[in-house]
Amino acid sequence: MSEVESCIPLGMDREVSRRNFLKTAAWTGAAFSALGIGGFGVAVRRAEAQGEYKTYEGLGDAAILQFAYQLELLEGTFYAEGVNAGLFKDAFLEQIVAIRDHEMAHADAIATTLEQLGAEVPATPQFTFPNGTFGDAATFLELAATFEPVGIGAYQGAAPALKSKNILASAISIHNAECQHRCAINILNLITPPNNLAFEEALPLQKVQEAVKPFGITG
Amino acid sequence: MENHTINVPGAEEFARPRSRRDFFKSLAVAGAGATAASLLLSKQASAKTDDVDIANFALTLEYLEADFYAMALDADVLSGDALGVVENLADHEAQHVDALKGLLDSVGATPVEKPNFTFPTDAFSSQASILDLAATFEPVGVGAYLGAAPLISSPDILAAAGSIAGVEGEHVVALNWLLGIVPYANEAFPKAMTLDEVSAAVAPFMGGKMLSTGGPKLSPEERYRLNQAYRLGQL
Repeated sequence: MSEVESCIPLGMDREVSRRNFLKTAAWTGAAFSALGIGGFGVAVRRAEAQGEYKTYEGLGDAAILQFAYQLELLEGTFYAEGVNAGLFKDAFLEQIVAIRDHEMAHADAIATTLEQLGAEVPATPQFTFPNGTFGDAATFLELAATFEPVGIGAYQGAAPALKSKNILASAISIHNAECQHRCAINILNLITPPNNLAFEEALPLQKVQEAVKPFGITG
Repeated sequence: MENHTINVPGAEEFARPRSRRDFFKSLAVAGAGATAASLLLSKQASAKTDDVDIANFALTLEYLEADFYAMALDADVLSGDALGVVENLADHEAQHVDALKGLLDSVGATPVEKPNFTFPTDAFSSQASILDLAATFEPVGVGAYLGAAPLISSPDILAAAGSIAGVEGEHVVALNWLLGIVPYANEAFPKAMTLDEVSAAVAPFMGGKMLSTGGPKLSPEERYRLNQAYRLGQL
């Protein structure tokens, strides 16, 4: 999976995640201070301003959902192929089936919302996966472990940029499901303890786009 | 409609707290302890102040979880995978406490004090009792963050809340694994909870006090007036 590997953010360690959280917290201090609610060190903090959500701000709710819809289809297709390949049995199979169903339910829900918004539901992209992805459980699970943080990072990055609070409520729920998937995939990868992150990490739009481009999402 | 499951994003069916007033209603009627009630009564609560209330509310939940897991480790009854999972749970919740305190400090707000929590007498007597109670806490943590998220004004606080909420979701999965619940991740749309639901879930551990958001304390007169207003359906 060499050509893909380089494009996907691999496992994020706790320190990195904590650092980013604190960076966000610091930035918040600057934002609040700018609003005149106190705080200190404004100039320093503003210099550190990052805010992944800013990279999603120009898109608008419909475009964010259209992108999310394709991500869900990618994930759902990936897990469906994994089930069809007969790589798993028992508890492992049940988990992969459940994740497949979750991703498809997410895609359906997003499509419904797009229709309500009067926005176009994107055509299903022609997905491509690296050779051997569905050849054995370990290779499949390795890719699964890279997919989930991308989904998490996309939702977490996009959520604050959403205008509709209703859409935000569902996006943050779906985000949570993706985080639960990350932990479940850790369990299937025999990583103990599987709950090994103190803070989930947001990803800027460009990082997500780079990560999924090799699989056929070019939007 | 009483709806505890998010089915369709964007649909009208989100029976989540639709306003800050709904969300903080149970704080207002709580009586004991500091509440956001006077802010509600004055209708002058700014969005920014509400974010601080929500952050303090989250901090109280994190205190509860952090205390619980620290005591669980002290009890010395955990072993194997359960020990490893709970060590991380304790570590994560302590980090969430630190992060929320830092967030509140950085905006010039005062983090609430840690309440004295009470736990059932047999809560720490065995690995099973610890895991059972943990499995009741974690979905409440998820539900609280998911319920509060749409009410948060600051995108940065929202991003932080989402980051922590996701970790609480992972905790649910890790506990399912230890408890033999298959599949471990089994919710397509994890549930949001109202503040009433969250408060009811954690009330037994609060030593008779309701959650504090660090707002001004009510005088007996204010509390009486507020309760009367509720009784008369004015709020």
